[in-house]
Amino acid sequence: MKMSLAQRVLLSWIFALIFLIMLVLKLDSKIHWNWFLIFLPVWAFDTILILMLIVNMAGRCKADFDPRDGEQSLKRRIWYLIALLLKLAFCLTLCSLLESIASVLVSVVCIPLWVLMGGALVELGHSVFHSRRD
Amino acid sequence: MLFSLRELVQWLGFATFELFLHLLALLVFSMMVALKVDLSSLHLSWWLVFVPLFAADGLSTYFTAIVSIRLYQENEKRLAVLRLLWVLTVLSLKLVCEVLLCQKLDDQDQARDLWYGLIVSPLFILLQLLMIRACRVN
Repeated sequence: MKMSLAQRVLLSWIFALIFLIMLVLKLDSKIHWNWFLIFLPVWAFDTILILMLIVNMAGRCKADFDPRDGEQSLKRRIWYLIALLLKLAFCLTLCSLLESIASVLVSVVCIPLWVLMGGALVELGHSVFHSRRD
Repeated sequence: MLFSLRELVQWLGFATFELFLHLLALLVFSMMVALKVDLSSLHLSWWLVFVPLFAADGLSTYFTAIVSIRLYQENEKRLAVLRLLWVLTVLSLKLVCEVLLCQKLDDQDQARDLWYGLIVSPLFILLQLLMIRACRVN
């Protein structure tokens, strides 16, 4: 079952709104929750995305699946899974730094984010310049 | 992942090249934040750290102005005005948020009355606008 654009936007919108509200309350010292708790909407959203990706990839195991359709799609889904894991790694290390569990440099915390952004830039750049050539 | 690039372009109202520009600016900005926090001996000003984001906003405005003028010349007047209005609204809300955040970070003592709820309020407005636009695009 494919969700419509409005449904997918609503899903992202709700989690973004809750996260922003919790972040603002924490930064303004209105609540004194743990940073891992503040990031709860992020964890929940990422878990939903990972589950959706895994279910989608498991669809390849169905008997009526035509492997000619899915070669490109599988590579793309693997990249999406890696991207999600990189984002999770960034958020986890950031929370650990903010909670003073680990004392690491901010540059080390940002490495997964930079790899993720670099990958996204390559993908975006490819579609910008590829379509220009066409 | 959740959205295809085509859906993102339709929903956000920005061209792929503009999305590329903003993402590149965000990458450079995150590097400069890391540099500022890790190497405090460099004494980088927060205004300097925010320069990539301001530059991306400026370039995006320029790009949108050019596209709108060309659309207007090709007699797509309604589309040109709508595109210009939408992009300028989004960029100005983003810019207000960036300037307020920069002011808060640069001078924590003087900007004590500037609470984070106020700084993020343009983003809350932007979220509502994006939701309305998603319903229209859908």
